[in-house]
Amino acid sequence: MELLAALEGSAFSTFLRESISIWAYPTVLMLHTVGLAMLVGLNTTLDLRLLGFGPGIPLATLEKLFPAMWIGFWLNTITGAMLFAMDPINKGMTLIFMSKLALVATGVLLIVLLRRSVYGRGADTAMVTAGARTCAVLSLVVWAAAIATGRFMAYV
Amino acid sequence: MTQFKAWLDALLATTTFDEWLVVYLKSTALSHWVVNSQWVWPIAETLHFMGLALLIGIIAPLDVRLMGFMPRVPIAALKRLVPWAVAGFLTCLVTGALFFAATPDQYIRNESFWLKLLFLAIAGANMLLFETTQRARAVALKPGADTPAAFKAIGGVSLVSWLMVLYWGRMLPFIGGAF
Repeated sequence: MELLAALEGSAFSTFLRESISIWAYPTVLMLHTVGLAMLVGLNTTLDLRLLGFGPGIPLATLEKLFPAMWIGFWLNTITGAMLFAMDPINKGMTLIFMSKLALVATGVLLIVLLRRSVYGRGADTAMVTAGARTCAVLSLVVWAAAIATGRFMAYV
Repeated sequence: MTQFKAWLDALLATTTFDEWLVVYLKSTALSHWVVNSQWVWPIAETLHFMGLALLIGIIAPLDVRLMGFMPRVPIAALKRLVPWAVAGFLTCLVTGALFFAATPDQYIRNESFWLKLLFLAIAGANMLLFETTQRARAVALKPGADTPAAFKAIGGVSLVSWLMVLYWGRMLPFIGGAF
């Protein structure tokens, strides 16, 4: 709690909270949405392919989506940390924020499992396993819940 | 009856179309329902964000392919996922229309809102241009083949305009001052 208070009082947090510049809070929030579209959007595309939609898309080529998903992930980790730093005492210890972190962690773990399960034997022998399909379904559910908790954090 | 007369008087007192629209929309049961509920707005926002992720997640790889990257992916195969992007778009359209109908005064004089619609129109016209002039060439393009200049231009315009739609949507509270 003292740590959170120290964070909240830091010059960086105060700048993010009080600056009226378009490059402060609005841009951080906007980039958080871009990162969401990259991470969740591209993961959804991969999930749909694994669940049998767009069957003509070669699995091997979709491995290229992973770097873009990771860019989205890091973008949101950084911008998310900044949004947290703005208001750590109010947001930090709430159930809904903890739920969101747990959901994001699960979503990211599923990406790792998915990649191992589909591409673990090399891109050219990529195949859809039953495990990968399970991961794909879980990932759709987990990301939907992560988005919901993120949105509701602004209202509860 | 007095309520009806007050409502009619308020409508008649407006002098411009946008004023009339704001007064009318705010008088509807739909607007009252959204504004008075604690849940409708955040649920609709959640759906709006899911819709945008679905839309961009499918359209961006297609745009990138049109720009000449990931040449081994057949364009025709990627296009088979487009109905999912349309589903995402419709989700955003319905929830977006709900936001507008509920609180039109937040949007009607908001420059971010009109810039968002402008880029939405550009994205739509660009897609229409692709479907009407390049469709046959796109389906015939062999996997591994580089894309013609027209594809690269259309893919680039699409990617930028969808990102601009997201950008101006997110700027609604900050530039133009909604909420």
